[in-house]
Amino acid sequence: MAGNRRYLPLDSTRHLGRTMQRYYFFSRYHGLWGRPWHRPLAWITSGAPVEIVRAMGIDPVYPENFGAICGTRRVTSELCRVAEQAGYSQDLCSYARADIGALLRPDLAPMGGLPKPDLLVACNNICGTVLKWYEALARRLNVPLFMIDTPFVAGELEEHAVAYVSAQLQDLIRQLETFTRRRFKPGQLQKHIDLSNEAVKLWCEIREMCRTRPSPLNTPDLFVHMAPIVVLRGTPAAVTHYRRLRSEVRERVHSGQGAVPGERYRLLWDNIAIWHQLFRFYRLFSDRGACFVTDTYSGGWSVQPAPGEAMESLARTYTAVFLNRSVAFRTRQMVNLIRDFHLDGFVMHSNRSCKPYSLVQEEIRHRVIDETGVPGLVVEADMADARIYAEEQVQTRVQAFLEALETRI
Amino acid sequence: MRATEPASDPVAVLLAAAASGSSAWPDLYPGRRAFGYFCSYWPEELVLSLGWEPLRILPIAKRAVPGRLPAYCCFPARSCLAAAEAGEYDFLIGAGFTHTCDTMQSLAGIWHHRDTFQLVPPVTLQGPGADAYCTVEMRNLWHRLAARAGREADPRELRKAISLMNRVRSLALRLDEMRPGLPSSLVAAVLRAGQLMPRAVFAAALEAAWPELEAGVDDGEGRHRLLISGSVLEEDGLYTMVEELGARVVADDTCSGYRSFDGLVDEEKEPVAALVRRLSVRASCPCRHSSLNARPDYLSELARLRGARAAVLVMRKYCDPHAWDATIVSEKLRSSGVSVLILELETGTAGAQEKVRLEAFLECLSDLDQEGQ
Repeated sequence: MAGNRRYLPLDSTRHLGRTMQRYYFFSRYHGLWGRPWHRPLAWITSGAPVEIVRAMGIDPVYPENFGAICGTRRVTSELCRVAEQAGYSQDLCSYARADIGALLRPDLAPMGGLPKPDLLVACNNICGTVLKWYEALARRLNVPLFMIDTPFVAGELEEHAVAYVSAQLQDLIRQLETFTRRRFKPGQLQKHIDLSNEAVKLWCEIREMCRTRPSPLNTPDLFVHMAPIVVLRGTPAAVTHYRRLRSEVRERVHSGQGAVPGERYRLLWDNIAIWHQLFRFYRLFSDRGACFVTDTYSGGWSVQPAPGEAMESLARTYTAVFLNRSVAFRTRQMVNLIRDFHLDGFVMHSNRSCKPYSLVQEEIRHRVIDETGVPGLVVEADMADARIYAEEQVQTRVQAFLEALETRI
Repeated sequence: MRATEPASDPVAVLLAAAASGSSAWPDLYPGRRAFGYFCSYWPEELVLSLGWEPLRILPIAKRAVPGRLPAYCCFPARSCLAAAEAGEYDFLIGAGFTHTCDTMQSLAGIWHHRDTFQLVPPVTLQGPGADAYCTVEMRNLWHRLAARAGREADPRELRKAISLMNRVRSLALRLDEMRPGLPSSLVAAVLRAGQLMPRAVFAAALEAAWPELEAGVDDGEGRHRLLISGSVLEEDGLYTMVEELGARVVADDTCSGYRSFDGLVDEEKEPVAALVRRLSVRASCPCRHSSLNARPDYLSELARLRGARAAVLVMRKYCDPHAWDATIVSEKLRSSGVSVLILELETGTAGAQEKVRLEAFLECLSDLDQEGQ
């Protein structure tokens, strides 16, 4: 019976596979074609304003996405051990440790590791770790590091913070002009911003369709299909993929087809996926008819860009990302999702690798329960390092949570 | 004995204040209104200008398991929150957080104990637009604090506060320079007292203590000269252990040690701009970014200037910024001929295991000395 309970696969996943293979193929051999075309390669954080980088003719790759790949292929722990032997504490972010481990032992890494970059671009809107991680990379790789500092938004985003980030973005352009020996063209930037906006709009539409009962998607679908909104942001390839995905999801909605057959419970997921348990973990829920209808993590890339002149819009959009916001903001976000998507409960992944996401979760959990009355479960794990995962404990907690849900419905 | 009472032994007053910890304030200084802060980047002058006293909130050893933080959060954050939840900081007017690491950012978000104020300085203090941004940020903070105090944000009061803090920091610098001749734990305790006492009381007590301190200076002969670096150290146990094992801390780069006092404020400049300026010229913490090698170079130079031939890098468990820096800092120090011990501590208490490691490290130094002779 359990086999029948698996949630429905998407046809678009094959297209996604081809899209991502093409992206990683061209990235892997960037050294062969990038140099003749005078296109530098950048390693960039997932929250950095990539539109500027693309507008300057620089091709980005994302160590965080690579960290997720290492997690799903279950090689993170081995790569982390390599980094730990080189002196990096085992308490540091597992993406960062795996990335450094892959640099030191590319033979252990998927695809032989990421291609060596010509520059690094880091934006601290997602955490403080990226600053230290990219400093370490810059020293090891001996390439320049370009930092964008987006001040934490404790309350509302203030104008002096927007002006500060705008000034840094202007300076980044000047520095990249020097680095690439290429003139910045505002039209190019606008082209990439428009493509980003189009992909974000599609991603939002797709996510919004999950308000339908039964939900056409389960959150593992979102985790898998978020790859283009991260690594192909600002490109036609991302837009093409999300148009295809939107059509398929729309079809599911029209035909009343749910991702989880016999959907009984509708849940919210909070935090990065447990990549090394992606399907195994979520099956604990889908086997009992529980569908994760939406999540806070992949929703981070569904924020519509702020209006206004290009640089100011980028400054506002990238500074105001949810991980750079207060507990009150994040609580409100979860409460709204629970209300708008008619959810029965929520599950928080207390992720040892992501402190800004995780350390405030218990507080948020209490506030969300107080405001909505729906139950919330906390599961401790790590997004990529499987050594942290206590399967028996997790199973017991999930089972108890689902039994508690059963009594409420 | 209350620290405000006249004392025949001013050193004893300083040590008593240091040993009492943050939560003893109401007993030691009744009637004085304290405003708590966590990070050495917090502008104490703003607090003083409003008639309050800045009080550094340091971890309390007996408390460490608040329900609202997971076990993989550092002890200082867990301990401070647990103490607040137990009501030990109910006497505070409010609490000030400077944005530094992810953990302090999170703690600020869940610290709903009295009024909470945040200062978010730039990570790259010398970056484009950083100065203008930080000046507005600092000024806004001052006005928010003033509104809470029900007072005007008065530049004359701020200048007086700057003058007082410059006096405190000058004294701390003088003490720091006397380290080679003074017991390590004594200097650590006095500097900690400077964060736990009313600032004017501290300055007066330290000035009164100079004759006694100077009389106690020894030549430090035969002791291994150490640099110590790390985040907050709320106890003196590690410093005492260093002394007992025949070494001396001659240079200190801890968040609760000298780094907290480094850098004077220019009294000739507009006061808010001058406060901002100090943040970028003082010794940097790992949460700030200037150049890739700024901190390793700074620590290497500090070791050279003070003649430290070995360094102890104290890593508080789950403290990411210092854990990241430990790798590059130890490489740089070793390449400069400075031996390095990375010592991980969860609580502030250095116990038997740490003693064994430190002892072995110092024995290696002694062996190296003998080989060199």
